[in-house]
Order: sequence, then C-alpha cells, then structure tokens
Amino acid sequence: MRAFRALLIREVWSLSVSPFSYVLLGFWFLLNGIFFAYLLASEPIRADVDVLPQYMFGSGVLVWLLLPAFPPLLTLRLFAEEHRLGTLEPLLTAPIRDIEVVLAKYLAACVFFLVFWAGVLLQFVVLGSFGANLDWNLVLSGFYGALMISLLFLATGLWASAWGGNLLFAAAGGAALNFLLLFLPVLFDQQGNPLQGIAHAMNIPDMVDRGFTVGLIDSYALLYFPLLAGLFLFLTWVRLVSRRWVP
Amino acid sequence: MIEAEALTKRYGSLTAVDALTFGVEPGEILGFLGPNGAGKSTTLRILSGFQPPSSGRARIDGCDLQDASLQARQRIGYLPENFVAPPELRVGEYLRFRARLKGLKRGEARQRAARVVETLGLEDRVRQPFAALSKGYRQRVGLADALLADPPALLLDEPFGGLDPVQRQDFRNFLRELAGQGKAVLFSSHVLPEVEEIADRVLIIHHGKARADGELARLQQRAADEAPVQFRTSHVDEAFLTALRGFLLESEADSLQVDGIQLRLRPVDGARRQALFRWLAAQEVEVAEFRTLTPTLEDLFRSMTTEARP
Repeated sequence: MRAFRALLIREVWSLSVSPFSYVLLGFWFLLNGIFFAYLLASEPIRADVDVLPQYMFGSGVLVWLLLPAFPPLLTLRLFAEEHRLGTLEPLLTAPIRDIEVVLAKYLAACVFFLVFWAGVLLQFVVLGSFGANLDWNLVLSGFYGALMISLLFLATGLWASAWGGNLLFAAAGGAALNFLLLFLPVLFDQQGNPLQGIAHAMNIPDMVDRGFTVGLIDSYALLYFPLLAGLFLFLTWVRLVSRRWVP
Repeated sequence: MIEAEALTKRYGSLTAVDALTFGVEPGEILGFLGPNGAGKSTTLRILSGFQPPSSGRARIDGCDLQDASLQARQRIGYLPENFVAPPELRVGEYLRFRARLKGLKRGEARQRAARVVETLGLEDRVRQPFAALSKGYRQRVGLADALLADPPALLLDEPFGGLDPVQRQDFRNFLRELAGQGKAVLFSSHVLPEVEEIADRVLIIHHGKARADGELARLQQRAADEAPVQFRTSHVDEAFLTALRGFLLESEADSLQVDGIQLRLRPVDGARRQALFRWLAAQEVEVAEFRTLTPTLEDLFRSMTTEARP
C-alpha cells in the first residue's frame, strides 16, 4: 500500500507540474467558457435556464467532441511516455504489483481530471451567484454523468497508452476508441437493426440525455460506466503483464 | 543469495537464455561476461523480476521470483543497462520517491536517500533534474537507487558504461566495499580488465549457455594448462627440429611454429610442458627463454565465445 500511495502521489504531482497538462487545461477552459457564454446568450437558455445542464453535460459539444479527445491526451504520458523514456523497467522491478501500478496511474489521472470538471462546475456556481435560478439537482446529476463518462474515457486512454512508446498512437488510439464507444451504439440503435438490443444497452448519449441531465440516475448507468472502465483497466493490466514476455 | 536454476528464456524460436544454472554467495562479486546478444541482460532482467523465465527457477535470498515476487524484489537492487529516471525529477526527489516505492516509511526514506547521496558523492547534484546530469552522474543515481533499500543482492547491468577512468576506479572500490558488507553482487560487463580486477568469480555465457563458471584464477589456470609455450634456443637446425618432433605428441607437433630461433607450440597439458622443459635442458642447445603465454581474461573470453560460434 505504501508503494501504491507513493506512486499515486508522484503521478498526481507529475501531472500537476507538466506544462502540457496546463496547455490542455487552458484549452479545455477556453472552449468550455466560449461554449458556456454562447449558450447563455442563446434563445432556449434565455427562455429556460434549467436546460443549461442538458446542453453543457449532455447534447453539447462538450460531451460529443471534447470529452472523447481530452482524457487520452492526459493519459498518453502515463505508460507511453514511461516506455519511450525507458523508465518502465525501474518501475516494474520495484516491489509493487502491476495492478497497483495501473490503479495508481488511473487514479492520478482521475484526480487531475476532476480539476477539468471543477472549472466547468465553477461556471454554474458563478452563474448562481449572479442570481440565476438554477436547479442544482439537474446540475449535479448532469455533472455526475459527465464524471462517469470521464472515468470510462480515462480508462480507455490508459489502455491505449499501455501499447508502446508512440505518444501519437496513445492519444489518437484512445480518442478513436472513445468516439467509437460514443457513436457506434447510436448508429446501431435503430428500429429493425438486429443489434439494436445491445446497441441500446451501450448507448451513452441516450443514458446521458434521458438520465443524468434530466435528473435521473438509474442503477444500470451507475454500473455501466464503472464496469466498462474496470474492463479497460483489466485490459491495461493484461497488456502490462504481457509486455514482460517480450524482449 | 542469488540462485538461478536451469533458467531458460525463449522468444518464439529464439532461445535467449538456455538452462543457465549458477549462484552468487553473500560477499561475492560475480562478473557476468559474454558478447553482445549472449543473454546477459535477459538473465539480469529475469533475476530482477522484470521478465519471467520460460522455464527454470530464480531465487533471491531464498524468495522465489515467481511465487514470492514482491518479497524477492524487495531484496534486489537493480541497475538496468542505460539507466534512466524521469528527466524532470530532481535527483533528491527521485531518490525519495524510489525509497517510498520500495516500501520505506517517509522518515526512513529521507534518511536512506540522504545516505546514498552522501555515499555516492551526489551532494551537489541533489537539486539538479536528472536530464541535466552527465552519464557518469546518471549511473551514480542508478546505483544510488539500487542501494536505497539496503538490499542483500545487487544486479548491475553494464555498470561501468560511460564512466571515466576516475569514476571507474571509484566504482570498483565501491563494489568491493559493498561485497565487504556481505552483499552478493552480480554485474555484467564488456570491460574485461574491470572484471579481472574486481570479480571473485566469472561466468561466461554465449548463445545463452554457460561456457565457463569459476574463480578467475582457476579458470586462468585451466586455460594456462592448455596455453602455448614460447622458447628461444641458441640455434635451431634440422637435426634439432627432427629430434623435437620426435619428442612431441602428434597434436603438439602440429601446433609447432618456428620463427628463426624462436619456437612456439601448445603442449597438451602442464605435465607435458614440464616434460618439454626437461627435454630441452637435456639437449645440446642453450635455452635462452622458456615461457608460458598465460592467457588474459580477454584470451579466455575470446576462446570461450569463438569456438562455440555456430
């Protein structure tokens, strides 16, 4: 446990001092800020501010475009960079279990990604302080849904990062996988499609739009994201173990 | 302390390490020799717990590397070839992090990090990021890392690479000190004089197989028994050569090289060498020089790793 804690702290610290993390954070805040301001000025939000969480955390640019792309950019360095630099060998010969290495790196990414989301939540806090009549249940459940998706996308990003020292592959591979997880079920979730049942069960936008952003947190969605994230963490662990078998 | 038993590593059809069996006792320094691709780094990676063997067992201080991997890894200090630390981390930060990773408590980690920094002369580098260090200092940081948890077994892969002569001398002395403290030291090297100077024993491997394992002096003696002799006589004529060939065994006669009054041949063993000396003394020639061309470790290394080349 001591080794796990040491690695977790080191990874959080490492993300916190990396200039690249702040470039990402800056872009994230900038794009979110522009989007938030644009929404505030739009007709539907002026008419009913309660739909703002739905646009911010659901059917908006944030979830559709930004969210699949940003987590892999954050996780790419966690394994791929170690592999590229050659620091993986000292790490994996230390008395720490492979699964602890995977979990420490994942948790560090999760902790740091919370900062990304905290900024978005802060916009709502500021809006509320200016007297907007926000339904905080909707805001928080939408926020919770976005966190759940982030947990999944960070896990896929970590898995992509574990494939080797190519940072571009780690980032692009993770993002591509996230877009597939997001859009593929939507394509197949159509009446008459033989795969509709499975596709519907994996339809993330549907879970968000019909659940989290309208204040409904159903138990299926609560399990779906952690379990799928767990699957990708398991695959990351398998990849790490299998790396030990190659020259 | 370090035990390898029929250690084998295969990558598909390639056998990198082939049924390697050896051990290193506490206080002993074993030099691990072999040409590039012989399987040295693979063996060290198996012993460090980085890679599992395809078959065979490895134990560190009685802990099996497969059944009790964490306990075994706690007893190892490992310096990989081309050691690298995260470039942005300062030396002090890196060592404290590694000490914590190796299970030391916070206060203990600070103390141990400070001690290895002092031992390896890194005091004026602790605030520098790893990326700013020279190769020699990087190696020192790697060794400091290996020593952090005061492990009983040290595995060092090419530890002399990139060091200048003064650093090498310091490093040799330091390895001696560590062995004096009862640590088992296994190091691989291409720098043969280095091995010759500090190793108690050498293990020569080629194509993953052990070619020789033993105390250096004993290996050299064995090689010396088969080493050529060179002698110079006051004159060499046909009659002398005919008599000499008559005395020599067939393989000895085949190895005879004549260069004016200087002759060289390879006696089959030490007894034959002495017999040759006595025979020469009984001849009507004056023997100006008679010496055995004692092999250096380099000769030994070359003979072990060339005759077996497929």
